[in-house]
Amino acid sequence: MLEFDGLVRHYGDVVALDGLSFTVPAGQVFGFLGPNGAGKTTAMRAVFGLVGLDHGSVRWKGAPVTATERRRFGYMPEERGLYPGMVVADQVEYLARLHGLTRPQAVDATRHWLDRMGVGDRATSKVEALSQGNQQRVQLAAALVHEPELLVLDEPLSGLDPVGVDAVGDVLMEQAADGRGVLFSSHQLDLVEHLCQSVAIIDHGHLVASGPVEELTTGGRRRLVVKVEGDWTGAWARRVPGANVSRVEGGAVRLVLDDTTDPQSVLAAAMEAGPVVQFGFERRRLSEVFREAVS
Amino acid sequence: MRFGFIAAAAAVAGATAVAAVAAVAGDAVRYALIAAAVVVTALRVWRRRQRRLASDEAGSGPGSRAGGGGGPAPGGRVTAALDTFGGDVGLVARREIRERVKGRAFRVGTVVILLAVAAAVVIPVLRKGHQDYHRVGVVGALSTPLRVAVVAAGPAVGTTVRLVFEPSLAAADRDLRSGRVAIALVDARRLVVNQGLAPSDTSTTALLVRVLASDLSLQGGLEQAGIPPDRVAALAHPRPLPVTSLQPARHNDTARTTEIYSLVLTYVLLTQFGTWILIGVIEEKSSRVIEVLLSTVRPAQLLAGKVIGIGLVALAQAALIVGVALGLGAAIGSDLLHGTAASGVLGALVWVVLGYAFYSWVYAAGGSLADRQEQVQSLAFPLQLPLLFGYIVSFTALGSGEPSTLIKVLAYLPPTAPFAMPVLVGLGHATWWEFTLSAALMVVAIAVVVRLAGAIYARAILRTGGRLHVRQLFAGERA
Repeated sequence: MLEFDGLVRHYGDVVALDGLSFTVPAGQVFGFLGPNGAGKTTAMRAVFGLVGLDHGSVRWKGAPVTATERRRFGYMPEERGLYPGMVVADQVEYLARLHGLTRPQAVDATRHWLDRMGVGDRATSKVEALSQGNQQRVQLAAALVHEPELLVLDEPLSGLDPVGVDAVGDVLMEQAADGRGVLFSSHQLDLVEHLCQSVAIIDHGHLVASGPVEELTTGGRRRLVVKVEGDWTGAWARRVPGANVSRVEGGAVRLVLDDTTDPQSVLAAAMEAGPVVQFGFERRRLSEVFREAVS
Repeated sequence: MRFGFIAAAAAVAGATAVAAVAAVAGDAVRYALIAAAVVVTALRVWRRRQRRLASDEAGSGPGSRAGGGGGPAPGGRVTAALDTFGGDVGLVARREIRERVKGRAFRVGTVVILLAVAAAVVIPVLRKGHQDYHRVGVVGALSTPLRVAVVAAGPAVGTTVRLVFEPSLAAADRDLRSGRVAIALVDARRLVVNQGLAPSDTSTTALLVRVLASDLSLQGGLEQAGIPPDRVAALAHPRPLPVTSLQPARHNDTARTTEIYSLVLTYVLLTQFGTWILIGVIEEKSSRVIEVLLSTVRPAQLLAGKVIGIGLVALAQAALIVGVALGLGAAIGSDLLHGTAASGVLGALVWVVLGYAFYSWVYAAGGSLADRQEQVQSLAFPLQLPLLFGYIVSFTALGSGEPSTLIKVLAYLPPTAPFAMPVLVGLGHATWWEFTLSAALMVVAIAVVVRLAGAIYARAILRTGGRLHVRQLFAGERA
């Protein structure tokens, strides 16, 4: 279990972390979400002692994180970094050894993880000869090669195609199922919703919402999605009292209802506008959780 | 394993140079050539065997993952022990050694330096080979005392005289024209040379001719006067007067040549390996791999590993160069490293090590301030200035043979001491305790530089967004 406890960090007048606290349980894929510049990277770097904290501490299993614990963590920084001129397998092996594996262990684990990430055939190439996508796979292999107790991945999905996103998602879920801690950050809240079991959403360096995705998305006001045939603007919906339009996608209008609003009145208004082809309740999205929490 | 290549390259470089002089220098060279060939072959066989072993190992079994493994191969215990030596610092150092030695720049650079050294050792010997002895053709009879006198004239002018007995004047004439003999002595009465000698000519041949002309005429005159042969020698070659000097003799040329080489080598090594540190640090920072590394290793460990690794490569290269120079010198009979010169080389080696220990940290701190690879040049130049200054001043002093006040001061300043102090010692202007004092000052300076450079490095290495200035690092932390 990883605990962030009251982290504060200022850069001059800029507040990067403003009393951030939350807990990452082991055995779950935990999403660390928030807009760009919210302080996610600073918080993750604090886990590895790469930024000094003005206040607060990071704890692992109840004790402050030291160099000994960090050895058993895996880290993929936001700015990817590998030695450009070094052979892929040598590089991953080297990082494995720095995390305490013996040479034979490092050789075996390197082969396994390069194969698992689909870059086993590039093991003898130099890193600079690989495409960006493949370099990212090698980077992930390097974070996983020593079978870490805790994985900290900063924006692991950025720059990946949908196939890559699925592949990384599978690995994260597999790692969590093995009982490890998995913390990854993203600024695209809705894109990663299906990957996470729990999330912490932050803004301006402090927590705005956290908990299991299930709980966060089922609570709050009701959401209706209504589509009227031939209508692309959803203009009718704006005239319905007690209902706020949150989004219009391809003519499907997403409405947030006040507690006292009768859904039947919305249906009636829709039918006046034209034939209704879609009408149903939906869960709220993480982006909506965020927006409602900061408004 | 990669050292096989360097050794091979060294052997090849040595062999090429040696082959060039094989004709002149004789048996020793042939043995050296054979030895080089044997070494190269042995290295190749060994490397092939290693490679086969490695591929066998890789092929055996699908390999149980981390935690498993079939244990180290038999006989791999030493490798395993080496493998864990030094912990994280050792790991970092080994990576540096592996990656540097693999690099083309290093291989080519080593070969070039070795060729230069081989040339420096071989060429003086080649040139001297022609002057080593003078053949004197003898026509007609030559009494034993005269013969002794002719041979004895050689050392007096710095050469060895060999006598060639000519059957006739015509044969002597032919040998003179072809250059087989330098001088012909006819009936102990007359000297013949191929080309006339000007009175101002100071070549060894001219000196020999003059000495022979006066010695033989004196000795012949004494013999003709009826003085017994045993007294002739004593009269013709009296014991020379003793000569005392007001000032010690000027430096001898051989030792000075060796010092020049040592000085150049010190400069080349310090600049080259300092730049490597600089490039290595900038590479890690600009490629951002530094963040991955520092998530598990402390900055001090990373830096120490880098300095030690590159330092060992530097030391191995220096040892290789000196070794090749010594070996080649011994094989072809160069006197480059005879006498006091050998201790001079050792002293220079001590200063290379101290200089590296000092400058490596300076270069590392400099590198951590950069942000992109392109900044290597603009950072390398100012860092190189004290090196260049010490080098030039020392070189000038060595050339003039008289140390200036400036170099006497520079010999105690750590940035310039690696150049100035060995030169002072070589010129005989520093005693052992002055040498030790300067070295002790250097050690203190290294301790200070390690702390300071470590602090700069730790603060700067993770900060990106343009080139940093030291002032920024210590005046409050800003993003």
